[in-house]
Amino acid sequence: MYDPSQMARFAREAARLADASKFAEQARRAAEAAKHLDASKFAEQARRAAEAAKHLDVSKFAERARRAAEAAKHLDASKFAEQARRAAEAASRVDREQVVAEASRFTEQAQAAIRAAKNLAELERLRIEYLGRSSQLTEVKKLVRELPVEARPEVGGVANRASRDLEDAIKVRAEELAFIEREARLRAEAVDVTLPGVPYPKGSLHPSMRVVDEVVDFFVGLGYRVAEGPEVETDYYNFTALNIPPGHPARTMQDTFFLDEGLVLRTHTSPVQIRTMLSQEPPVYVVCPGRTYRRDSDPTHTPMFNQIEGLAVDRGITLSHLKGTLAAMARHVFGEDVKVRLRPSYFQFTEPSVELDVSCFVCGGSDPKCKVCKGAGWLEMLGAGMVDPAVLEEVGYDPEEYTGFAFGMGPDRMAMAKYGVADLRLFFEGDLRFLRQF
Amino acid sequence: MRVPLSWLREYVDFDLSVDELVEAISLHSQEVDGVHRLGVLDGEVVVGEVVEFGQHPNADRLFVAKVDLGGREVQIVAGAPNPYPGARVPVVLPGSVMDDGTKLKKAKLRGLESNGMMMSERELGVSNDHGGILLLDESHEVGCPVLDYFPVGETVLELDVNPNRPDLWGMIGIARELAAILRTDFRIPEPSFETGGAPTDEYGLRVEAEDLCSRYDLRRVSNVVPGKRAPLAMRRRIFSAGMRSINAVVDATNYVMLETGQPIHAFDAEKVRGGIVVRRGRPDERITLLDGSTRDLSPEMLVISDEERGLVIAGVMGAEDAEVGEETTDVLIEVANFEGRNILKTSQKLGLRTDASGRYERGLDPNMVDYAMRRVTELLTRNPGGEAAAGTLSHYPEPVRSWEVPMRIERAELLLGVPVEEDEAAERLESLGCEVSVEGGRLSAIVPTFRRDLWREVDLIEEVGRLNGLDRVPEELPKTSLPGGLTSAQQKVRAVRRLLADIGLAEAVTYPFGPDRWLKDLGLDDGHEPPRLANPLSAQAREMRSTLLPSLLDAAARNEAFGVEGGAIFEVGRVFEASPPPEGLREAAIHFRFTGEMDRLGPEVEPNAASLMGVEEISRVGGVLAGTIRAAAWNAPERRAGFFEAKGIVERLIPGASFAPGVKPFLHPGRSAVVYVGDAVAGWVGELDPDVAEKFDLSSSPTAFELDLAFCEPDTAPRFEPFTNVPAVSRDLAVVVDNAVPAGDMLATVRALGSPVLVGARVFDVYEGSQVPEGKKSVALRFALRGEETLTDEVVNAELGRIAERLREAFGAEVRSG
Ligand SMILES: [Zn+2]
Repeated sequence: MYDPSQMARFAREAARLADASKFAEQARRAAEAAKHLDASKFAEQARRAAEAAKHLDVSKFAERARRAAEAAKHLDASKFAEQARRAAEAASRVDREQVVAEASRFTEQAQAAIRAAKNLAELERLRIEYLGRSSQLTEVKKLVRELPVEARPEVGGVANRASRDLEDAIKVRAEELAFIEREARLRAEAVDVTLPGVPYPKGSLHPSMRVVDEVVDFFVGLGYRVAEGPEVETDYYNFTALNIPPGHPARTMQDTFFLDEGLVLRTHTSPVQIRTMLSQEPPVYVVCPGRTYRRDSDPTHTPMFNQIEGLAVDRGITLSHLKGTLAAMARHVFGEDVKVRLRPSYFQFTEPSVELDVSCFVCGGSDPKCKVCKGAGWLEMLGAGMVDPAVLEEVGYDPEEYTGFAFGMGPDRMAMAKYGVADLRLFFEGDLRFLRQF
Repeated sequence: MRVPLSWLREYVDFDLSVDELVEAISLHSQEVDGVHRLGVLDGEVVVGEVVEFGQHPNADRLFVAKVDLGGREVQIVAGAPNPYPGARVPVVLPGSVMDDGTKLKKAKLRGLESNGMMMSERELGVSNDHGGILLLDESHEVGCPVLDYFPVGETVLELDVNPNRPDLWGMIGIARELAAILRTDFRIPEPSFETGGAPTDEYGLRVEAEDLCSRYDLRRVSNVVPGKRAPLAMRRRIFSAGMRSINAVVDATNYVMLETGQPIHAFDAEKVRGGIVVRRGRPDERITLLDGSTRDLSPEMLVISDEERGLVIAGVMGAEDAEVGEETTDVLIEVANFEGRNILKTSQKLGLRTDASGRYERGLDPNMVDYAMRRVTELLTRNPGGEAAAGTLSHYPEPVRSWEVPMRIERAELLLGVPVEEDEAAERLESLGCEVSVEGGRLSAIVPTFRRDLWREVDLIEEVGRLNGLDRVPEELPKTSLPGGLTSAQQKVRAVRRLLADIGLAEAVTYPFGPDRWLKDLGLDDGHEPPRLANPLSAQAREMRSTLLPSLLDAAARNEAFGVEGGAIFEVGRVFEASPPPEGLREAAIHFRFTGEMDRLGPEVEPNAASLMGVEEISRVGGVLAGTIRAAAWNAPERRAGFFEAKGIVERLIPGASFAPGVKPFLHPGRSAVVYVGDAVAGWVGELDPDVAEKFDLSSSPTAFELDLAFCEPDTAPRFEPFTNVPAVSRDLAVVVDNAVPAGDMLATVRALGSPVLVGARVFDVYEGSQVPEGKKSVALRFALRGEETLTDEVVNAELGRIAERLREAFGAEVRSG
């Protein structure tokens, strides 16, 4: 339908950006011609023209308008003419300041709308509305080409600036909205971090074996090898070769398990030292961890227990080497701050014999009620000594040329102290309530 | 050895607190096992005289006394009825601290004020007697501190005397040791007594078993006052040293034993028939001892007898027959030296260890006999009183003399790792009783016979080292540079343990011996003779295990019994197999076991220590998985023990293992497999037979495995396999086969095709049920194929076709469509 107001608005808009006087002239001429035209036809054509004018330049429009006006000459042209005249008049009033002001008002409104966009979808809709192919700004940009050369920079500049400002505003808002939406999404994805993780299996290593590993690692670091031997041992290796001949009182002190004639469950790992020395020439640096057995059973004695013995035979080995080595070992297992002291002792296969105490790694001797050292400040850690010359001779070493030290410790007892276990029997019962704690 | 400090002070002066004394002794000599306190630790105990004594008006069991404390009268409430007016009693005053640490206070007992306490023997630390108040004789003056007569409190050190130091089983030896530690003097009481009693040699002395008795001395003390007790101070010392007071004669002998370390025996001379004979026991001889037990003697035992009967198991315990009693007036004192090991054997055989045997068994100095004899004679003539014979009978055919031991200072410095001063070393050895001469860096010590442990240079070095102080020894490391480290086998054990712990098993260490039923319950008892302990702690711990399984099953049963839901444990340990020495070599084997020598094998036999050991030890790793091995979590389902859980572990331990249905009698026949590495049997894996599970008190069958460690390769050295960057194509193939077709064989057959493009094949589903015919199963296989270039569908389909065809040929497999 022919809608003069629409026509007028279109004309006004076009004029606002074009040379208004030129447009007014064209419109006046068109209106003049229109007096003689078929109005209905003209209206249709005008409508189409108006439609097309969105994409066309003003001169084409004018031509069409002229032709339309001609066609409209049989109609009631006076009414149209009047309207066209009024439109032209209004258009002629539009000046450049107004164009700029309106452009900036338009830009401001658009920016406000962009800033108020609630989500990326709405923002996209606004982008199409303001910057899309069929937006006003696009139209204006197209019209610029039709403008007089001298008007193009200003109007084009206004349009481009508006376009840029809107693009920037959209970009800023898009970033804002992206951030907000990301935050919201992450918030929605939050989990209860106090729930346990996927349960990867976790087993455990036996506390005594942990101590054995630690001690062995220490000595391996010093250049020791690990020697092993049978648990069912001969009388000779377990006793006689260690300076404990048949009938010696020390044999009865070590309540021994016997098997077939001449066979025992080893009462210490010392026979491994003998076997090692018999199999090689000095220097010897070995540790011998292993299970040992004594016929004894109460809360502090089990018929089986672990032992680690060690042996260093070389030229010039002294008691100070024993002390230094074992002090370093104690620090490796119980912490850098522990101190050691030697006390005289007695073992059949060492002379001098000593016991090594380690300062309490829990209280350092400062707590009379300490559960670990029972207030003594010292823990009995191991027995040691210089290898008895008789033992060296027994294995064919010359005691004048070689000296050595030997030591023996109980990793079970060390583990009891280290981990605070009071009952030795727990170590050998396979009880998962115990084992799983390590 | 219990050392009452007040007694020790009789021989040596020291000005140390108890803690300092304990430290001095333990850092230079023997370990101090404990400190005991007796009597009144701190406060005032005075001699009081009872003025009035009567029933407490308000309590049936209490009494009230007025006691004169020397010009001052106090009221005391008592619990014992034995005091009487005129009796002298020890009274401890309020404010004093008793041995249990309590402080005595003025108290009101049932309405009556009590200003102190009359003391029993136990409360004073005199004996264990708590039957009544200790009544003091007239020699104790009223109002005087009891301390003027004997100590009212005592500190007793409990020394753990090393077996090489029998000289420290007497107070004098400990005094000498302490004086040496403190670099001070000590003194020994010099016995003196009158003689003139009936002569000793009215009795005979014959030592028949000289090998077991190097010295035997006898002295007679006659006209002994009968029925007397030992003086209070002596009884007190005997008690605080840990013995019981018997009578004046026996107490004197025990007192001198505690003082010198030399056991002494007293006979009632009137009961000795003819004389003393030192001989071996006779077959069928029996003797009834003082403790009431009757013992069979044997020729290995030394017996002190008279001409008619055995009187004492030498060094261990006397019989009732000739013991000193209330009526004894004539005493024969035995001070002797017996062979230590023989005494030890006898005491072990009898299961009877006494204060005397414990001292003899370590080997005593026969020269100690003289002093001990004089000292005990002195004490006996003083109390109970008697007349000592002028002479003794002594059998001591081969007197032990001092010996000389040289010591090089240089050698001492080498062993001790500290500088050693010649003069200081000499002084140290002198303080122990040696006579020392010094010449040019060499010491020569003449060692007193009571130090039988000092006979080599190294023995002297030890003495110098400990008396100088081991705190002087610096901390140094040997200057070695040797390639240490674990062997690959040792590293493997570590890797196996670490792997099993990492995949969720708990490492256990269990006893390798168990009850006889183990093998029977496992169905392994036919013809299998495991090594057995000759002297097990109980029948439940007699057999050495030949498999780790039963120890682990016992552990699993224990866990079940204690309500642990389930779990997986493993052990790396040894199993034991009897491996008797070759025919005819048993004698040689036993000789080897006792001497380490293989010289009786005969010329034709290759010496082989292992074959003579009699027991073979094999290192194994075993595990038992029971019940829920991993509990369900909110984000993971529970995992229960099953055949494939155990098999999966085995596959980790031995990546190249193959499996074939197994026939272990203790395993479920359809759910167990033998594990092979190549053709060698590496072990087994399977579910426990339900009957066996029941025998081990397990409510359901756990799964288990056991492998020889030698076959385990938990961390094989990898070899790089080059690969192309062409992505692999994954294709599935589901085939229907008979139920009985082993999936493992199907995979093996596919792999055996040797396809150049097949890089992976695995079973991802096995289905039996309504979708496949009865007796059939569907096995879904997933293949990964990769070539040098991207494979075309043609190639892939051809390859898949070839696989399907092969499966059809080999197993009658039909490709399942859809
Ligand atoms: Zn502590």
